Parts: sequence; C-alpha cells; structure tokens
Amino acid sequence: MSEGYQVLSLDELEPIPHRGSNLLPLRHTLGYRAAGVNAWSADTGGQLIPPHEEDSGNEELYAVVRGRATFTVGDESAEAPAGTLVFVPPRVYRTASAEEPGTIVLAVGASVGQAFVSHGWDSYAIADAYRRTGRIDEGRAVLRTMLEALPRAWYVPYNAACWESLAGNADAALDHLRDAVELDAEETRGYMAQDADLDPIRDDPRFQELLA
Amino acid sequence: MNIAHVDELDRIEMPEGFQWRPVRRRFGIRAFGVNAYTTGAAGGQIVEEHTETQLEHEEIYLVLRGRVRFRIGEDEHELGQGQLVHISDPQLRRGAVALTDDAAVLAVGGKPGEPYEVSAWEAMFAAVPFAQQEQWDEAIAVHEEALRERPDHPALLYNLACMEARGGRHLDALLHLRRAIEVDSKYAAYARKDSDFAAIRSEPGFPAA
Repeated sequence: MSEGYQVLSLDELEPIPHRGSNLLPLRHTLGYRAAGVNAWSADTGGQLIPPHEEDSGNEELYAVVRGRATFTVGDESAEAPAGTLVFVPPRVYRTASAEEPGTIVLAVGASVGQAFVSHGWDSYAIADAYRRTGRIDEGRAVLRTMLEALPRAWYVPYNAACWESLAGNADAALDHLRDAVELDAEETRGYMAQDADLDPIRDDPRFQELLA
Repeated sequence: MNIAHVDELDRIEMPEGFQWRPVRRRFGIRAFGVNAYTTGAAGGQIVEEHTETQLEHEEIYLVLRGRVRFRIGEDEHELGQGQLVHISDPQLRRGAVALTDDAAVLAVGGKPGEPYEVSAWEAMFAAVPFAQQEQWDEAIAVHEEALRERPDHPALLYNLACMEARGGRHLDALLHLRRAIEVDSKYAAYARKDSDFAAIRSEPGFPAA
C-alpha cells in the first residue's frame, strides 16, 4: 500500500469501554483531521451511543453500518436498520441501543464555522482502558501522542497527570501537573482542587505547592 | 427525528454512471462534508474517479452495503460492509466500481485545519437532473441558491452561465460568464469549446470570442 492512504475494517478496531458503550476508536487510529469520526458497537440490548447532548456546538451524523439500532433523539425514538442515517443538531439529547448482535454505528461530528480540532477525549478513553487492564506502556504511548498533538492545551498534561496518579506513579503525575499549571494555572488549580483522580497524590507536599 | 435510510435519499443519476445520494443537503449539515453513493448495477461506477487537489479534502469512504472495488493511485482494494479507505493525500487519484448491485458507500470529507465550506460541486450535481430534462429555470435556481453563499465562486458562475445560455437568458449568461472569467481566467478557454454557449457565441459581448 502506498503512502497517503490506508484501508481499515471497523472489525479490526479494539472496542474500548467508554461510558457504558464500546467505542471503536476510528479517529485516533486513522489520525483523521477534518472531523470527529468514531464508531460504536454493541450486541442486542447493549448501549451503542452514550446518552448525551453535544454542548460544544457539534453537529453529528450517525450511520448504522451493520445490524439494527433504536435511536432516541429528544423525546422521539425510531428503529434504524443498517443503512440508516440520523442527524442530530447540537444541544439535543441522543442515545442509541443495539437490536441485533454485532451492531455498529458510525458517528461523524464537527462544529459549524470552526476548523476541527480533536481535544482527545477518544484518545484518553483508549489510554484509560489500557491503564485499567494493566497495559501501562501502551497507555502511556497514547498519552504521548496526545501531548505531542496538543502541546499548548493545559488539559492534556492535566489528564496525563490524572492517568499517572491513578496508575500509582506520583512523580510522573506531578511532572504533568506542573506542565498543566504552567500552561493555565487558574484552570488547572480549579480542577485539581476537587478531582478524585488526583486523590492518590493529594497529600504529597509537591501537590500542595502546585495548588498554592 | 432527522432520519433517513440511504435508499430514501434523493437519487441523482450522474452521467459517469454513479448515483449521488445527497446526505449533507438532505439534513442541512454545515460542519462537514458527507454524501452517499450507490450504483445502477454491479460493474458500474460508484465513486467518481477524481483527486482532491482543488478542495484538499481528507476523505473517508466507508462501504455501508455490498462489495466495492476501490482504485487508489495504482492500487486496488476490494472492500465489503464495514471496511473503509482513508485518503489523506489529496493528490491521490481515487474511484470505485460496485461489485454487487446493492453496494452503497458513505463518503466523509473536509479540509484539515479549516472550517468546512459547502462544496460548489454539490449544487452542480443537484442541477444535473434538471439540466437533463432541460428544466433550465430549476437548474438556474439551484445555482443561484449556491451563489448566494459563495457569490464569486467561478465554477458556479460558469455553470450558471451555461444553464442561462441553454435556457435562453442570453444577457444573464454573458454577464455571469464574464464574471467567472474575471475571477478565474481559465474559464475563457473552457467557454471557447463549450457547446452550452452555442447560442451566445456570436453575441458581441461573448468574452472568449
């Protein structure tokens, strides 16, 4: 295969548990840059799309790739066999569940009038799943890609600090937290004051210094 | 709920043999490009042969149904439901042929680092059925609607001029053709050879005469 393109099957993607659903992390895997694109899979009765609204102004299109789903958008519900497309504007509640084994839904999203920037929620979901299953080196590699992709965003080292804190690595967690404070002290301190993910390092004197 | 099966979308038969299923237009999506494609029968074109050199879109083509043979540059790939090709290099030539009658492909695209703008080709594709039926007023209206958002888009102006010339609106055609050429001079050469302008070629104001 030449450079400049890649071929992939959604079945190749490792499902990542995320908010009661199984994320198939397409955007992170492809490195797609023009919109958010991910897929979700579930068996009969399972949750496909985590219940949520897109507060960020994202327009989202869902496409049932395989199987059959029930979508709930606002207070309406509808059956959606494979080949069905569902469009949901921002700030509207939506969720979906599977009606057949192996159902897959593709989700595409971006904000009107804004260049797409991935804030990395999907990458963090992968890193978090790896941490929970003891795949520390793989999880840390994902964190590294996030830190390289968004070097000026305070929340990336902040999330890396949470991840290392939960993984039991106080020194690494505090290093990331220091980076986050340097990028945006006010935001970082606002969150770190009450974030349970940081409880394992909260009593460390270095944590208190960063909070001061 | 804004919901539609791919088979319920408008089916625009394109001269190249594929069927354009307008998704973005159907739902009024403004944040990214998305469309579906089907075909009349196995062996037919399903994704038009093209590059993204002009728009610089990064594209994903996902097979929703059936089997499809993609040609990407010099490579060929047979893909089935749930398989996709992601093309990050806009200069790579891409296209696909359906291997089954029921094949359907979903295409997602946008230019990295820039807010999405509705592509002008959508209006030109949407006008094709009207042009095929010589319903020039309708074809003109589709272009005028697109030009309200992109007033100086040269390809839209040029196509509008074609429709106006065919529809007997010769003065409008001359004005819009001249404007297209002002914005992008390459359209002068196109106009010289374009049979759509047969009726106005001898007009004194024809810019490429």
